[in-house]
Amino acid sequence: MKLFFLFLTLTFFLPAHAPAEGSTPQAKDSEAAQAPIQLRSVKADFVQEKHLKILARPIISTGTFTFQAPQSLRWEYQKPLHSILLMHGGKVKKFIERDGRLTEEKGMQLDSMQVVLAEISNWLDGRFTDNAMFTVTFPDKNTILLTPKDKGIAALISTIELKLGDQAGLLDAVTIFEGPDSSTRLIFTNRVLNQEIPASLFTDR
Amino acid sequence: MRPFLLSILFLLLAACAAERRPMPELTALNGNEDVSGAKGCAAVYPQGRWQFVHSIDFSMQDGSGGTVIGVTSLAGDEISCVLMTIEGFTLFEAAYQEGKGLAVKRAVPPFDKPAFGEGLMGDVRTIFVAPPGQTMRYGRAADNGPVCRYPGIDGRTLDILPATDDCWQIRSYTSDHVMDRSITGRSCRKMGDSLIPEHLELKGFGQTGYTLKMTLINAEN
Repeated sequence: MKLFFLFLTLTFFLPAHAPAEGSTPQAKDSEAAQAPIQLRSVKADFVQEKHLKILARPIISTGTFTFQAPQSLRWEYQKPLHSILLMHGGKVKKFIERDGRLTEEKGMQLDSMQVVLAEISNWLDGRFTDNAMFTVTFPDKNTILLTPKDKGIAALISTIELKLGDQAGLLDAVTIFEGPDSSTRLIFTNRVLNQEIPASLFTDR
Repeated sequence: MRPFLLSILFLLLAACAAERRPMPELTALNGNEDVSGAKGCAAVYPQGRWQFVHSIDFSMQDGSGGTVIGVTSLAGDEISCVLMTIEGFTLFEAAYQEGKGLAVKRAVPPFDKPAFGEGLMGDVRTIFVAPPGQTMRYGRAADNGPVCRYPGIDGRTLDILPATDDCWQIRSYTSDHVMDRSITGRSCRKMGDSLIPEHLELKGFGQTGYTLKMTLINAEN
């Protein structure tokens, strides 16, 4: 299951390449003009809204993420709980603040990383249609819908919706629908692309 | 050698006996003592419709554990609870209604075992739902603190200690009068008629011992 959480987490920062439906030659020229940039790194803030039927208001979490190609990630929540997920050089660590100290959460399934990284590579190349885990559809040029192929996963996640931003190649928001009464929406702001990022950011809490 | 082994055995038995937490005798108040403190027991339980969001650190006796976010909703005779990861993934969702029992709506392994749902809802109800109070006794425990004692079903007993430090405690006992659960509230704040703790620590005793440390993120009513 942790593999799946991690996979979902990692999908959030991926650059997205959605072909427009019924593209004409002119449209293709336009698309070429907006061709995704080569992503080397991205930093952004995010707001996470957890919606549940029993909640009068969504639970709001905030944090930051940093990604550097090919495989480094720092996914950090500041509120309501301070936690950090680090991935670098094929190693994954998760820290959670307890009693004022960040302590490592043991039990991450490191062997599952190979599968996750293979998925990331596909998506970085824009190969959504080649995804082994999801069926991918493009309802419009700003939206990508991912529907799990595996029945076990489909029982947990009905759909993932990726909303593309105006700037080619980046996501504005991701919504994970667990069912009719439960969803998680992530909204990204303050994105900075292709800055040099020290490796220590992906290894040190 | 035999006396040595016997003494080891005795020490082990003594240690086991020490782990058992017997229910203290309750000393009834004499006629002159103020019994208004019993009202403090009612303030332990939130009245009306409430919604709580907690971070929950859980640790098992074998050293395993983790952190999740818990949502508890109280609406009339229905209690709903959800456990989710920090990343927002729903691990467990269930509702309990008086007369209808427990309905599990979603349970992701390893939270899909029936005993987990029953145990979780038992904990939630112990924390948030007042026991029927018709036969409550009010008195003092061995440490001289005030106690509201409620007899439960199947010979179980629930003690509420309304004046523990700045908050309250709940202790539940088996039909053998051994403590199987203790809940300690800390840093209570008054919201309406209720005393809502900023921190809760629940300890489950016995073979599958566990501890839940809950920190309040949000409370609404």
